[in-house]
Order: sequence, then structure tokens, then C-alpha cells
Amino acid sequence: MIGKRTITGRIGFALAVLLLVSFSLLPFAQILSTSLKHQYDWGNPSLIPQTINLDAYKELLGLTEAKKVEIPAAIQKILNNPKLPQDKKDAIAAKYMSNDNLFPFGKYMLNSVIFSVGAATFSLVFSVMGAYSISRLRFKGQVVIQRSVLFVYMVGGVLLMVPLYQMAMNIGLASSLWGSAFCLFLIYIVQTLPVGMYMLGNYFRGIPFALEEAAMMDGCSRKEAIIKVVLPLSLPMLATVFIYCFIIGWNEYLFASVFLKQYPEFHTLPLALQELFVSKNAIWDRIMAASMLTLAPIVICFLFASRFMKGGKTDGGVKG
Amino acid sequence: MAAITLKNIIKSYDKTQVVKGIDLAIEDGEFVVLVGPSGCGKSTTLRMIAGLEQPTSGDIIIGDRVVNDIEPQDRNIAMVFQNYALYPHKSVKENIVFALRRLKVDNEEIERRLSEISEMLQLEELLDRKPADLSGGQRQRVAMGRAIIREADVFLFDEPLSNLDSKLRSHMRTEIGKIHNKFGRTSVYVTHDQVEAMTLADKVVVLHDGYIAQSGTPMEIYLNPTNIFVAQFIGSPSMNIIEGTLFNDYLDIDGYHLPREQLSNVVYQASIPDSGLKVKVGIRPDFFNDKAFFSETEAAFNFTNLTIDLIEPMGFDKEILFNLAGGSVKARLDLRSEIKRGGEIDLLVDLSRVLIFDYQTEQRL
Ligand SMILES: Nc1ncnc2c1ncn2[C@@H]1O[C@H](COP(=O)(O)OP(=O)(O)OP(=O)(O)O)[C@@H](O)[C@H]1O
Ligand SMILES: [Mg+2]
Repeated sequence: MIGKRTITGRIGFALAVLLLVSFSLLPFAQILSTSLKHQYDWGNPSLIPQTINLDAYKELLGLTEAKKVEIPAAIQKILNNPKLPQDKKDAIAAKYMSNDNLFPFGKYMLNSVIFSVGAATFSLVFSVMGAYSISRLRFKGQVVIQRSVLFVYMVGGVLLMVPLYQMAMNIGLASSLWGSAFCLFLIYIVQTLPVGMYMLGNYFRGIPFALEEAAMMDGCSRKEAIIKVVLPLSLPMLATVFIYCFIIGWNEYLFASVFLKQYPEFHTLPLALQELFVSKNAIWDRIMAASMLTLAPIVICFLFASRFMKGGKTDGGVKG
Repeated sequence: MAAITLKNIIKSYDKTQVVKGIDLAIEDGEFVVLVGPSGCGKSTTLRMIAGLEQPTSGDIIIGDRVVNDIEPQDRNIAMVFQNYALYPHKSVKENIVFALRRLKVDNEEIERRLSEISEMLQLEELLDRKPADLSGGQRQRVAMGRAIIREADVFLFDEPLSNLDSKLRSHMRTEIGKIHNKFGRTSVYVTHDQVEAMTLADKVVVLHDGYIAQSGTPMEIYLNPTNIFVAQFIGSPSMNIIEGTLFNDYLDIDGYHLPREQLSNVVYQASIPDSGLKVKVGIRPDFFNDKAFFSETEAAFNFTNLTIDLIEPMGFDKEILFNLAGGSVKARLDLRSEIKRGGEIDLLVDLSRVLIFDYQTEQRL
């Protein structure tokens, strides 16, 4: 009887799944819907916009031509005042004419990509090395290292934020732009490394050592055996770890807000989104569109990763 | 040139010794078969030769260099693993040619060798599959192919045919023999199978509990085992061990008196007390013959009126069990023998094949 289900059972199951899925998808639907609505439509509780409005997206992605900003009449009067020196006039005009108040979404996205992809890449490389050594090699202090790595993970970020920033100040890193960026980078790597190592380490343990021995008998050095046998077999886990590290970096707000506060040039998306709320551009459709665009890479990442998950099966290699 | 010498090899895991001092000289081009019960250290010995395991003490010499500190990949050895160890992410073809690709052997040569090997191992149909989609026997053949496609100095085989059906096994056995004759590489071969040991080996090494119990040509091991362990381990069905008493003129087994001067395989010289010397007598089931079909010669002894307890027809011959000196004894007889359970039979034994062993130490006398 195993595997046989009645019609009512199946319908009930489908309903339960549907309920759960729609419950977790509702906030996203809300974001998507609002980002597509015109201003007059914002108060409407319906999720379906009356007319689709893509302006928010266009603006964020810089697809609109820069609008000729009208200088208010009062200001124009001041500008026409002959007593005012020309450079002052230019400064005032620039303040009103510039497109600075436009949200430079592309730049923030690029910052986010650089931080999260960069940190994830390094984290993955270090995870592989660390995971391999704790799962395969025997050395003094192995257990201590293994435990202390996990301990790092258990200590929450908030606790460490102040001391870390203080340390960065003390050695003079926090006072320069590149130093701060470097610190943040390092923090992302250290934050994600324990889990990466833990996941990969367990995965490596599941790959029979005999496969590496076979590669060595076929003439590979240990390093070559790892690259040609262990890593291809670990692709699903490598992808998982990379995405995990990427997402942690992508969504990270706390440390970024501390270390990058003085460097708006280097703000990442979470920081920028926060600013969008308080800026004069706090317009719902734009905030929601920006949120949507912030989400997009993560979704793409998952779709991409699921293709890797299929590869790298380890069965069939050894007997029993 | 790749002779292999093992000098007093000891291997311990933590505190337990699993290989307890092995001395073995394998000549260049020799085919050596390691046999022994499960857990006696065959795989461990093989892995030490391969370099996958470091001996606790002793030297391993391959060719003219001591290889103790040489990495496995630098020893130029090909190995078939007991558990196959195929690369799960590569197709059968890529598994087999992996080592050649690494060495940047040109494609034509790879294809040529691949087709030769895959024909020999009957793998042509399977080349594009992944190991997970193969049966145990097919995987074993792939593992075999991966090793023999290389022109290594030394081949190591760890029970390479254990998962094949009997027909394929005998085919592969013949092929391994052919390969060895053709290329003459030094080979060390671990097996449980008597027939493989007997047919392939230049030299058989019987391991027992981490020691070499005996080494020699298959015939030596079969006809002149130096102790009861080897005598019973080699040969199937295994040798009968019967209690007896040795006197100056004869060997007494359950009242039968076997004349001493015709026991040409008994080399015992020391004096024997008048009350006789208690010994264990070894007679292989194959050396009994039904008197009905063999004329009594000088060298044969007639055990008369034995009562048959059990008959096991084996197809091409019959095995019978009867009681002698308080123990159950097996004899392998011709198919023609007309016997029935509970009946009586006269059996002839070739006296030159009778062995005696010390009652305590179980060593040959
Ligand atoms: N890594 C290890 N750690 C501890 N003991 C081990 C290890 N490897 C093997 N042994 C022990 O060494 C002994 C010999 O093992 P080995 O694999 O050489 O046996 P074998 O003769 O090949 O047996 P089989 O015929 O079953 O393959 C066994 O008792 C085994 O338990
Ligand atoms: Mg073994």
C-alpha cells in the first residue's frame, strides 16, 4: 500500500502545499505588485495593478533620459541677481539641475556584486582547503581547530561589531576607504567560512578516499587528485556553499553600515535601500522596484545552482 | 626491470600488528599470487607495495630503489582495487583512459589501446555509461581495464575477479594469463580462488595472520605443504587430517598399517619410541581411489571395508564421507563408482602422497 494515495488525500496534500507556498510568497507578490503600480493605485489593496507602470524600474536602471529639471521661479530670481558672483550662481544652479537625487542603483548593485561575489569566491577557496584538511588529513590540534572554527560561527555578529571596528581603527584600516573595504571583505569571509567548511567537510567525508588513491595510482599527485576527482564530485556542495556565502554577503547590512558609513561611493544595496526609505525619493514604487531588483540575483542564483545539483553523484564508484 | 623485495615488513594500526614481518623476493616478470583467509593482511601488503600505506618498519625495494619514501604516483604501478574505486563522474571510457590522458598520450594511440582493451574485457557496449549504471561484474572489468591499459612496471590486483560469474571469471583468468605472457610485467595478485592461484601463479604465497605460512610454486604448495594450515587452505575439498601413530616400520591409522618405507614423502629421521609417535596424517580427498577401477600397485595401500556415511554427487565426480580414526574423512571418487549410502567400499591410497605432521606444532615431519 506504500505510495498509494486516495483522491481526497491528494487534494488535501495539494491544498496544504498551495497554502504554504502562497503564504511565503505573499510578501514578494506585494513587493512586485506595488513596484508596478501608479501612484494613484498605491492605496488599492488589490495585488493586480490597474495599469502596469514600469517607470520605477526604468528609472532605477537608468533607462529614462535625464529630465530637464525646471528651476523654480524664486530661485531663478536669485540667479538673476547681478550682485551674486558667477561661481555662487553656478553652484546654486547645479544643486537644482543635477541628477544627484536620482538613485544610482547600478552603482550600488555593482558594489554589492563585488563584495559578495568576491568574498564568496575567497570563502569557497578557503573552505575547500580547510574542509579537505579537517576531513582527510591528520595533524596535531585538528580537533581544536575544527571546534574553534565552529565557535566563531556561534558568536553573533552584533557582539563582534564594536570590537572589530575598534580593532580596525587601531590598526588604521578603518580610516581609509580601501582599508574599510578590505575589513568588510575579511569579515564576510570569516563569517561564512565556518559553515562552508562544515558543509564541505562533511561532503568530502562522503567521498570514498579510495577514489583519490585510484587517481594517485593513475599518476596524479594529491593536489591533482583533489582537482580532478574530489572537486568535480563535490560540485553540488561547492555550488551550495558559494551561494550561501554569496547570499550572506548580498544581504548583509550590519557590518556594511558601520564600515562603509563614510563612503557612500561604496554603499551596497541593503545600505542603499535603507537610504531610499529616508531620502526624498521615498516613493513606494521605486522602493519596491529596488527591492525586487535586489532579490533578482538571488533567485537567478538558485535557478542556476539547481543545474549543478544534478551533477556529481558519487554512487557507483566503490563496492558496498 | 622491476623486481620487488620486501624486507621484514611490519605494519601496525595503532597497537595491533596486522602484518608481522614479511620477507619476500619477487623476480622481475614474475606472477605472484597472495592467498590467505580474510583479514590476514593481503590487501595491506599490496597497498604497502603500491605506496598507499606506509610500512611501520622494514624496506620495500622496487627495481633498484628503496621506495619507502616514494609517493605512489611516482612508483609506476597500476592497481586494481578490491572495491573498484571507479571515478563516478567519468564515463567508462574516460575512467579507462584517465591515466593516458594525463600523460598526454596522443589520441590515436589512446583509441587503439582502448579498443584492444575493451574488446578483451567485453566492454565495447558500455564505454559511454557511467559506473553507477553498471553491474558489479562490469565495474570490476572497467577497473581491470583502467589498470592494464597502462604500461606500468608492476601490476597489483586485489581480488579482481571476485564479482564475476564463473564463465566470465574463467574467461578473464585466461585473459590475464595471456596479458602476463605477452607483456611479462611483474604482477602481484590477491585472490581467494584456488583455481586462479594455481593456474596463474609462478609463485604462490600463503599468508596466515600476518605471516607467510609458505611460499613456492603451485605444485610445491599443493603436494608438499609445510604445515597443516597451508595443507588445508590450499586444495578443494581440503585435505583430510587424521590422527595416527608413527612406528619404526609402519604408520598406524585406526588399525590399518601403512608400510613406512613406501611413505616416500615422510622425511622424519629422528628415532621413535617403541610406543610410537602420535602424529596427524594428511591425505587429500583426491588421492583416494575406488579399488574397483584401479589395480593394487606397490605404492598403493588398501583401506578395506569402509562404511560410507554420505555421498555428494558433484557432477563430474562424487565425494563420499566415511569414518576413520574417529574423524570424518572425505574422498573424491570417479563418477563410475557404484556406491550407496551405508554400503561398504575399498579405497586405495597413493602412499607417496601421504603426509604427516607434528601433533602439537602442526609442522611437516
Ligand atoms: N585502516 C585500518 N585501521 C585498522 N585496522 C585495519 C585497517 N585496515 C585494515 N585493518 C585490519 O588489518 C587486517 C588485514 O586487513 P586486510 O585488508 O589486509 O585483509 P585482507 O587479507 O585483504 O582480507 P580480505 O580477504 O577480506 O580482503 C584486518 O584485520 C583489518 O581489520
Ligand atoms: Mg583485501
